[in-house]
Amino acid sequence: MDLSFFIMQFLSGLTMATLLFLVASGLTLIFGVGKVFNFAHGSFYMIGAYLAYQAVSVWHANFWISVLIAALGAGVFGMFAEATFLRRIYGRAEEGGFQILLTYSFILVIDDLVKLIWGTEYKSLPRPLGFGGAVNIGGLTIPAYNLAIIAIGLVIVILAWLILSRTRSGRVARAAALDREMLGSLGINVPLTMTLVFGIATAMGGFAGALAAPLRSVSPGAGIEVIIDSLIVVVIGGMGNFWGAWLGALILGEVNAFAVSTVPDWASLFNYLVMVLTLIFKPEGLFASREIRKV
Amino acid sequence: MLKRKYFLWFIPALVLCLVLPFSASGQEKVIKIGGLYPMTGRAGLYGLDSVDAAEMAIEEINGKGGVNGYKLEFTNTDSKAKPDYSVMVAKRYVTQDKVHFLFGVVSSAVGLAVTEVSKQNKKIFIGTDHASTQLTTDKLQPYYFRVSNNTFQSMAAGALYLKELQKTKPWKTIAYIGPDYAYGHDQWDELKFNLTRFGVEFKAVGEYWPKLFAPDYTAFITSIINDKPDILVAGFWGGDTVAFIKQAQPYDLFKKILYFHPDAGGNYELMAAMGTDLPEGLVLSARHHNNWPETELNRDYVNKFFKRTGRYPTYAAEGAYAGIYAIAEAVNKVGNPDDTDALLKAFEGMKIKLPEDPDDFTSYIDPKSHQIVQVQAIGVTERNDKFPPAKLMLGQWKVYKAEDLLPPPDYIEQLKKK
Repeated sequence: MDLSFFIMQFLSGLTMATLLFLVASGLTLIFGVGKVFNFAHGSFYMIGAYLAYQAVSVWHANFWISVLIAALGAGVFGMFAEATFLRRIYGRAEEGGFQILLTYSFILVIDDLVKLIWGTEYKSLPRPLGFGGAVNIGGLTIPAYNLAIIAIGLVIVILAWLILSRTRSGRVARAAALDREMLGSLGINVPLTMTLVFGIATAMGGFAGALAAPLRSVSPGAGIEVIIDSLIVVVIGGMGNFWGAWLGALILGEVNAFAVSTVPDWASLFNYLVMVLTLIFKPEGLFASREIRKV
Repeated sequence: MLKRKYFLWFIPALVLCLVLPFSASGQEKVIKIGGLYPMTGRAGLYGLDSVDAAEMAIEEINGKGGVNGYKLEFTNTDSKAKPDYSVMVAKRYVTQDKVHFLFGVVSSAVGLAVTEVSKQNKKIFIGTDHASTQLTTDKLQPYYFRVSNNTFQSMAAGALYLKELQKTKPWKTIAYIGPDYAYGHDQWDELKFNLTRFGVEFKAVGEYWPKLFAPDYTAFITSIINDKPDILVAGFWGGDTVAFIKQAQPYDLFKKILYFHPDAGGNYELMAAMGTDLPEGLVLSARHHNNWPETELNRDYVNKFFKRTGRYPTYAAEGAYAGIYAIAEAVNKVGNPDDTDALLKAFEGMKIKLPEDPDDFTSYIDPKSHQIVQVQAIGVTERNDKFPPAKLMLGQWKVYKAEDLLPPPDYIEQLKKK
């Protein structure tokens, strides 16, 4: 494997990793703060992709504004779903099972809604203006839009770190993850915090869906295909751990990229192998803290 | 008291209202067809198009008075593209609804499951879309018939195209990418078999197996470019084709390598989804084309479908349309839909003129394999905005004779041994 091909594969892995991280980060945020496993997180990714399609192709809006509209739309829809349905099952003895059933029903309802509004035909979004071609760096052809996605991913990671560690809202979210009842007794509106966190997480799903739309096909059922890999990412990184999601996505993206080029017949197997090895040797995930391990 | 009197009258009136429509339809002779098309998920468009086309064919036939005094009646249950669930629905169709024919399906996995129900219950199953060669070779059973091409036929046509191409544009190396399940693997095996059969010299330099519905192909694309094949053969269907082409475009893959996708690549959904983003010069085919052959029958079919649904059909629709006409033809010959043995004989060798037949050819069902025999046309993407929202359609057609595309006996034996 020569160096230029190695770099190309690495960047391919990084593009996949960034999109995976953007989806998985929302999934892990909801789990970390709300202890909710949102099986329908992929559906919010799909809503984002469709809203971006609607904004660009029907309303003729600028692509980047459409991405924001998509994130906002998915977030508002997520808050509605949390406040109207999920809130009713918090604290019940059977909450775990109910979460799976309820969020699975979201998948079916959202799929049918999308079909009713946009039909079953595949939708496609062009790359944004100025990002249609490729950039030539040292003889390597790298799609400009892929580079933009990698850059956006890095910005999101830094922003999330700043918000979670340096702002009051971030501290409240982290506190909610540790002890919701204590937070309530300190006068924090816990239900509102949960709704907002759910909204931010689903907005991130929508944001990822909108960013991915110019690279993928948009169709009903598109959410299912991303949720499995996102779940693997979350398991590798540690359920509920934001940084773990980033590391998990990076590992999965790169393992996939180099498995495809070296052992193409067995490439799919390697993603699962990483997850299995993590579950055997570090079942709490690579980034879980000592305290969590003790628990 | 008055209220009670009215109430006593109300009950028999209600019963009459409920019973009368059934007794009326009970007197009408009906051919019942149980459809198993998916209406949700990634295969939903194929299911929706198939149901629309089947209903269109039924309206046409019933509008002309039906078949031998029988009206056609079609019901579809969302198969969810799941084999276990489809088996349950098929059994219900047979035992409770007493259908005369099982009908569909999109996924070959569902087809292989439903053909077992058909075999056990001696109920005729008309296959309209799924393409696995197995159903008409090693897994063939007496009650199954398929009215659309299988992957072997597409790959045989593909091999003949590549053979001709070698004369004008010498190529040596070939790579393959297709979904990692039976449909994807069958296509590659069948193409290699046919290339060898037709005496084409080639060297395979790469094989890639992404998961079905994989969202990201970037690592595959860079790896394929590194392999430097002359031809890239693809075995995707649906949105996977769209995603792969979109992701490969900025790498200039289509300028460096000839993209060849002979089974499902030329489906209209690709042209409709990608508009002007679809590159020119891709070599594609499908089981039906909206702009080939340019016969009155094909034009009528495409225009009627558009008028009815507001969209142009994918190839799945024509399979369902053909299936309904084949049933009508068989019942017309036998005189009733209940004599299964006579119907089997009517299907075997049946000749039926379909929208995808050019003027000089009529499709027929091979009595041995129960597989419809049809010509296959392979085209190249070029500008054509007559079928919006598509901006490119296929052109520069090469047409391959139906008889050259059937699997030879030694290949069927090979499959049986497997």
